[in-house]
Amino acid sequence: MKSLFRLERRLEQPKSLNWIVPLVSVAAALVLGAIVLLFTGKNPLSTYWRILESAFASGDSIEGTIRAATPLAFTGLCAAITFRTGIVNIGGEGQYFMGAVGAAWAGLFFAGSGKPVVIVMMVLSGMVWGAMYAGIAGILRARFNTNEIIVTLMMNYIAGIFLDHLIFGSTSYWRDPKSFGFPTGKMLTPKEYWPRVNVFGLELTLGFILAIVVAIALWFMYTRTRFGYEMSVISDAPNAAKYAGIPMRLRIFTVMALAGAVAGFGGASDVGDFRHVLDAKGLQMAGYGYTGIVVAALARNNPLGAVFVAVIMGGLRNAGFALQGPDFPSGLVGTLQGLILFTAVAGEVLTRYRIRVRSNNAEAVTA
Amino acid sequence: MNSNLIVIVLVSAVFYGTPYFFAALGELITERSGVLNLGVEGMMLIGGVSASWASQHLGGPSWLVVLLSIIIGACAAGLVALLHGFLCITLRVNQTVAGLAITIFAGGLGLSSYFASVWNVATKPTTHPINRLNVLGLADKPIVGPILFNQNILTYASWVLCVVVSVYLFRTRIGLQLRAVGESPQTADAMGINVVRYRYVHTVIGGLLAGIGGVYYSLAIVPTWVDGMTKGAGWIAIALVIFGFWRPGLTLAGAYLFGAFSSLSVTLQSRHVSINADLLNALPFLATIIILVVLSSGWAKKRLGAPAALGVPYEREER
Amino acid sequence: MGEAGTDIAVRMTGIVKRFPGIVANDGVEFEARVGEVHALLGENGAGKSTLSNILTGLYRPDEGHIFLRGVDTQFSSPRAALDAGIGMVHQHFRLVSSFSVAENIVLGDDTTSFMLDAKAIEARVEELSNRYGLAVDPRAKVWQLSVGEQQRVEILKVLYRGAKVLILDEPTAVLTPQEADVLFATLRAMVAEGRTVIFISHKLDEVMAVSDRVTVLRGGKTVGTVDTKDSSTRDLARLMVGREVVFNRVVRTVPADESSVVLSLHAVSALDDRGSSALNDVSLTVGRGEIVGVAGVSGNGQRELAEVIAGMRAGSAGTISVNGETVQSGRVRKSISAGIAHVPEDRLHTGLAPSHSVQDNLVLKSYRSSPISKLTVLVQKMIRSNAEQLVEKYDVKTPSTETPVRLLSGGNVQKVLLAREFSTDPRVLVAASPTRGLDVGAIESVRARLVEAADRGVGVLLISEDLEEILSLADRVLVMYEGRIVGNVPAESANREMLGLLMGGANLQGSDR
Repeated sequence: MKSLFRLERRLEQPKSLNWIVPLVSVAAALVLGAIVLLFTGKNPLSTYWRILESAFASGDSIEGTIRAATPLAFTGLCAAITFRTGIVNIGGEGQYFMGAVGAAWAGLFFAGSGKPVVIVMMVLSGMVWGAMYAGIAGILRARFNTNEIIVTLMMNYIAGIFLDHLIFGSTSYWRDPKSFGFPTGKMLTPKEYWPRVNVFGLELTLGFILAIVVAIALWFMYTRTRFGYEMSVISDAPNAAKYAGIPMRLRIFTVMALAGAVAGFGGASDVGDFRHVLDAKGLQMAGYGYTGIVVAALARNNPLGAVFVAVIMGGLRNAGFALQGPDFPSGLVGTLQGLILFTAVAGEVLTRYRIRVRSNNAEAVTA
Repeated sequence: MNSNLIVIVLVSAVFYGTPYFFAALGELITERSGVLNLGVEGMMLIGGVSASWASQHLGGPSWLVVLLSIIIGACAAGLVALLHGFLCITLRVNQTVAGLAITIFAGGLGLSSYFASVWNVATKPTTHPINRLNVLGLADKPIVGPILFNQNILTYASWVLCVVVSVYLFRTRIGLQLRAVGESPQTADAMGINVVRYRYVHTVIGGLLAGIGGVYYSLAIVPTWVDGMTKGAGWIAIALVIFGFWRPGLTLAGAYLFGAFSSLSVTLQSRHVSINADLLNALPFLATIIILVVLSSGWAKKRLGAPAALGVPYEREER
Repeated sequence: MGEAGTDIAVRMTGIVKRFPGIVANDGVEFEARVGEVHALLGENGAGKSTLSNILTGLYRPDEGHIFLRGVDTQFSSPRAALDAGIGMVHQHFRLVSSFSVAENIVLGDDTTSFMLDAKAIEARVEELSNRYGLAVDPRAKVWQLSVGEQQRVEILKVLYRGAKVLILDEPTAVLTPQEADVLFATLRAMVAEGRTVIFISHKLDEVMAVSDRVTVLRGGKTVGTVDTKDSSTRDLARLMVGREVVFNRVVRTVPADESSVVLSLHAVSALDDRGSSALNDVSLTVGRGEIVGVAGVSGNGQRELAEVIAGMRAGSAGTISVNGETVQSGRVRKSISAGIAHVPEDRLHTGLAPSHSVQDNLVLKSYRSSPISKLTVLVQKMIRSNAEQLVEKYDVKTPSTETPVRLLSGGNVQKVLLAREFSTDPRVLVAASPTRGLDVGAIESVRARLVEAADRGVGVLLISEDLEEILSLADRVLVMYEGRIVGNVPAESANREMLGLLMGGANLQGSDR
């Protein structure tokens, strides 16, 4: 194949690429987005400015951004955990749902036991449900080597149907028996709502603070512990892991379950911080799980980076809601997120390859 | 159950199964070349919104507008598929992430919704929907009439396509080469087959067909555009390819099965037949998982499984 | 040998090919005549593969010319080369395993009709296979075939496309000596019809047995072209290596103690990845300080043997014991703690994690215990100092202990592996193909380490396809054939011919020797 460009493997990977690439990716995405906006007769600069304003300009907007970022931080961490090991878990969506189911149950069951107890039980329950759900896919992958991409995808669907079933299709514990006409879930009483945490005068969701804690814990695990070392070897060379006696199947299952637990944690925050009910329709329309994958990709699977990127994405999402109207085209948020993901993965390629430009006999190397 | 109910179910199976089949056939072709396309949902929606726009803005006799709309819808999706191809084949990006990016980018919260609002497509119904035909005047015959002779043009086209693609894949030289590209691109390359070209072409073809699937939604099922109206049909199509073991005939059957399920719950409820609708809805996905597990075992994998190089970017040695 | 004409089929002159950091071909001159079997001889890394890849259109030479029947030609792709009549049978087969034999053969042939005529294709394949004695069922799926049969498919592939020049890359690597003889007869038949065969090898006796002329490459250059009948293995070896090669046995300072058994396998059986029998009732012992060589054509269970001993594969029957104590089967960690060290064939992806640093790789087996880790947390200081000590002791050339191992040269990669394995103070070392692909200096260094370990009392099981290596290092030689031990001879009484026969499954009692 004679082509002008050729990709050539890099021998070394300069560490600076780790943060340059995401930065350049976002910039490139904004440029592409500007092209789309211009193509349809909108002004990119003013649009971007309005987005920036809505996301970060005032205390209120920041609070809104953090609220929007909270679920994304969890699903982003979930995706990052598995992607780091070479497992493609796109089931964050379904695992989040299951976490919400578990947490809603705990919130209702332990109502009145005092806020700390309720919060702890909701988190635990959410994590357990999320972990178990992911664990199923983990077992299939570990034991049967079944392709986890499709399995987790299918399980997202099944989880959504399960949600519908709990609220619309049956008289379950989660359903409000007093709701005739249009079924809704049983709401938690305000005593079970999760409190806001006051940071520098801003009211932030408890979930976000906890997500930061989880991210730090994960980062520590990856860089300092035996488990992190093993995960790193597994993703680099699975045969070497076998050679060293690392129990592959157990580790794969553990990683999936861990990711599910984190997503489930997010589901708990969803119920505790935001909806205070199992909101079947709302959950399915939100797409937290898939956005989480964008977060993980842009953060290059780094737990701390994931939280940071979640804030960016949260800002985008927040702005999208705030600006919704005839003036502001819908679908722009998704378009920009998609573009960011494109540029993020394309940028990822640049960390592994260089571009060679062919010009007859001489060859010039770029970047 | 009486035969009336069965007929209704079968008619719905074919009617709702057709877009699934188009998208799944496209995905099947793409996967046979070794490329995994998870962006089907996004491509369908782009196709649908483009066709909606076309049918509202083009003038002329109805059949011409419909034809052009289908072509425009297909091409729009094809362009998106070209982007996917560029990411996966040339840049060798992780194909799963690229596909998800496409779906987020083009999907219900993305570009298709953006174009819809910018072009004001959703404000009124299509003036040139795709209607059902009355083939050979046999639409009224009992049982077979409604099922076979009262479908729309895309459904009939899909039957022809099923046969054509089957023959293409398994009886022609090009089809053999395509399958080789999906099974072992190193071997195909060594035999002088242009892996990159085969993958690009068949990824775009997959996009074209997905686009037609999307057009079906916006012009045939509910001739008005609604954001995200495919409601996950793209994901179903991906499952369908596995369900059909990467063979067009089985995929067609599976599409109708899935189509039946998707309309079954509504149909049954209106007939006061109480079967747990949610379980029915979940069945196709559960079935796909089970098939996947079975296919992971050695015996089935060699005989029935996925193209061996599916989802793996191809990197040729330096020249 | 038939009479070869003097028409030149292929001439390559002034061929230069550079890769990052190395000049693989440095002004190579090569020419093959019509109707001859021409061997291309050289060690690993001499440039044979590169040259043949250029001839078959996979690579473009940076400088130089290729003349086909006197015509200056440039190949833009492998297909162009094939269309010009040059076909290659690779060492690693390029076959689609889920396709049938006929489908594989006809793949890529644009002269086949658009609609495939299965019967006609199968008939043509059968005709070709009968003509050259390459028996194979056109309808069989490739994954069902044995390695030898798959090779026949590869040969048929190029014959089907009318190749006039056939290049075979190390074709006997996967064949027994007897199967190799059959191959040689096939090659003779082709050459008698006026084709040309280029036979790439590093095996001296084969080159002597089958070729008309030999071109020797060394360090990317042509060092000589000789008529085979005027040459000898000694001459060729000298050309190949550049100095007088002495096939002497290594002198041991501490004699082996065969009776003091460190490793014992008793009636061990195991299955391979496909589920068929790989090891069949294998019993062997390795004594203290003994180097026991395991000879055999690759694919006769050697890989599974190493894996079973190392614990990477569970045996289906039998027991393994170290110093008399049974080791639990199929558990790597148990094997490691029993004192079994393992240098695998696949260094970079099995023995090491390629993108990880030297220091991280050096703790791959010790990371779970103190002082490398405490309470599940890794102690970076210890990891580093451990690496610094080992790098110095084993003379590993690396920019730093944090360099990813995949950037090191082959020899240094192996040094890292050996350093790690020896640092566990093992009782037993299983080394599989430890010097394959290394340059001469590295080979000598690795062999020296193995002998050193044996002198210290480690029982070494040396699994190698290189008979010369086994003959020069081992105290005792076992031969594996089809998953069994078919020979157990002290090194003094072993010779290539006897071993070759055993490797091919012959029953020595029935022979004339």
